[in-house]
Amino acid sequence: MSAPALQAAAALPVRPRPARGSAWLRRDLREIALVGVTIATVLVVGAFHRDFMSLQNLRFMMLGCVVLSLLSLGQTVVIATRGIDLSVAPVLGLSAMVTGLMAQTGGLPLYGAFAIALAIGLVLGTLNGLLVARLAIPPIITTLGTYSLYSGLIFLYSDGTQVDSVPHAYATLGNGVVASVLPVPIPVLVLGIVLLLMWFIIGHTRFGRAVLAIGNNQAAAYNAGIPVTITQVGAYTISGVLAALAGLMFLSYTGSATVTTGTGDHMELQSIAVALIGGTAIAGGRGNALGTVLGSLFLSVILTALVFVHVPPIWYSAGEGVMILLAVTAGRGARA
Amino acid sequence: MSGGRNDVTARRGASRRLPLGNWERALLVLLVLLTLGLVAAVPGFYPGFGDFLALSENFLPFGLVALGLTTVILTGGIDLSVGTTASLAAIVMAELWTGLHLSIWIAALLGVASGALLGLVNGLIITRLRTEPLIATLATSFIYGSIATALAGDNPPSGFPDSFNRLGTGAIGGILPYQIVLFGVLAAFFSALISRSAFGRKVVMIGYNTEAARYAGIRVDRIVTLSYVISGTTAALAGIVLAAYYSAVRPDMGSILLLSTITTVVLGGVSIFGGDGSIAGVVIAVLLLGMLRQGMLIAGFSDMVTTMVTGAILLGAIALKNLFAGRGTGLATLLRRLRIRPAATT
Repeated sequence: MSAPALQAAAALPVRPRPARGSAWLRRDLREIALVGVTIATVLVVGAFHRDFMSLQNLRFMMLGCVVLSLLSLGQTVVIATRGIDLSVAPVLGLSAMVTGLMAQTGGLPLYGAFAIALAIGLVLGTLNGLLVARLAIPPIITTLGTYSLYSGLIFLYSDGTQVDSVPHAYATLGNGVVASVLPVPIPVLVLGIVLLLMWFIIGHTRFGRAVLAIGNNQAAAYNAGIPVTITQVGAYTISGVLAALAGLMFLSYTGSATVTTGTGDHMELQSIAVALIGGTAIAGGRGNALGTVLGSLFLSVILTALVFVHVPPIWYSAGEGVMILLAVTAGRGARA
Repeated sequence: MSGGRNDVTARRGASRRLPLGNWERALLVLLVLLTLGLVAAVPGFYPGFGDFLALSENFLPFGLVALGLTTVILTGGIDLSVGTTASLAAIVMAELWTGLHLSIWIAALLGVASGALLGLVNGLIITRLRTEPLIATLATSFIYGSIATALAGDNPPSGFPDSFNRLGTGAIGGILPYQIVLFGVLAAFFSALISRSAFGRKVVMIGYNTEAARYAGIRVDRIVTLSYVISGTTAALAGIVLAAYYSAVRPDMGSILLLSTITTVVLGGVSIFGGDGSIAGVVIAVLLLGMLRQGMLIAGFSDMVTTMVTGAILLGAIALKNLFAGRGTGLATLLRRLRIRPAATT
């Protein structure tokens, strides 16, 4: 059984591994650069437009990146295993639609919404993982197929209706602050907790090491006795759960959900973009939770800045595209 | 020569005796069964020969994109920008037609040329900047989309001349749609290109093993760049056919193309890792998915349900293919995991 796996390991090209010290420096450089550029953008645009620096606008920009950050954190884990999860967008949409419709018509309490969203993410994410890890379907094909399936589920469940309003508790979750003395928006707090959790999981647990090992060289990881199947399934499950949580946060923040929520503005591609900007390698083996959130915040700041300097919104996605190319080529330069 | 026989040459030898591989034959049988089943079971699916052929006008633009995308996927790459390339090319055509008062046909040619140019940009970013194809084309798809929206403005041109619209909805003698002729000619061309030309062999070899291809003296970068140019060109062609079909252009009209086309190519038996697959399989997959979709729509299922079924078919087909081909973690592992005896499946 091990002979073919060993052959596969030999066939893989040897990737030059940088020394440990430079790897740490590189990761830190990425984060420092992102923070630096973000602050510089705020200061420069703020110098010309006073409103850009206002507390309200800063809060708005932080809120704006929460949903995408949650989605991208899950994507980060999956990409670190050398996979990809296109189905995060319909999982987000389905979670928002199911909890939203239940809250709108049945007055579902908030803890119930959390439970349902988590269950949706758990089941759909695990299904992705099982298809990838057990049936050996390439991740891009698996999640392309489940993208269609899950989008269909949204359509079937909504049955032509949509969510226009949510109970007060949801609106508080989406727009309220933690306490009047501590004006941190609740979504930002949620994101902070998830970020801490993901940072810990990727960098400081056995599971996180396994994720990175599989991303670096799956055959070698298998031969080293790392539970490849369980780890892969786990990565997709995390992605599904975070996507569902993002759906609930989207619902609470906007108070609405439609059939095209998530899939309509190609959230799946955006989440991949953010993970890449944050310094996660598409070839696997490197995942950066903090970088992902900083990348998402950076994107949110840049997009808001574009509004202030009167760039028409049609150019926003072009800006995103340019940023992806810059981020990836900059990462390559640091590696050389 | 007999000493040098390997997987690839053996398969080529077999393909001379039988025009289609196992996967393609299975798809073909499925296509025939499906079409007969739909004709028998769905009233209105076969209203007459001409109208039956005209059904294909709804899905052949996907087929055009699939031909070019197959070339890219065979090299082991992927082109996520096909959807926005199609939109942008159609809008370039429409704007040249209204803005510069060019003949619509010259504008269409320039539109296709613009698609080739966008493909060239993709290819150069991938080969010169050494970017993963997935990232590069993801980025350019965002950029092309923005340009398309900006060019289109608030009121994108519409109402093209009837002679042009016939490309999308017309038929020779009222029977044979122009789209089928276009797709047929291109499919034959691509089939010859991939399996009978030196270029095609190089494309497959790069996908099979890029390093080996490089050591064999193949100019990998040039071939890869060319494959993205081809993909951009066919995407642009699809956009122009769509424009003729609707007699209008919209900056988001190509966005439906991307995911369905990847589905089609993969279902057609092309390995997503490159180096394995045939145009014949993709053509059959185009017809199979198209007929299924049209049949279900006529039978009264909603668009989303047909999309779900397509997704399920994709997953099921690739799972089955893995089972038989022993890809991924290997047939033995798979069988052991599924607890099926090898004799039962082979």
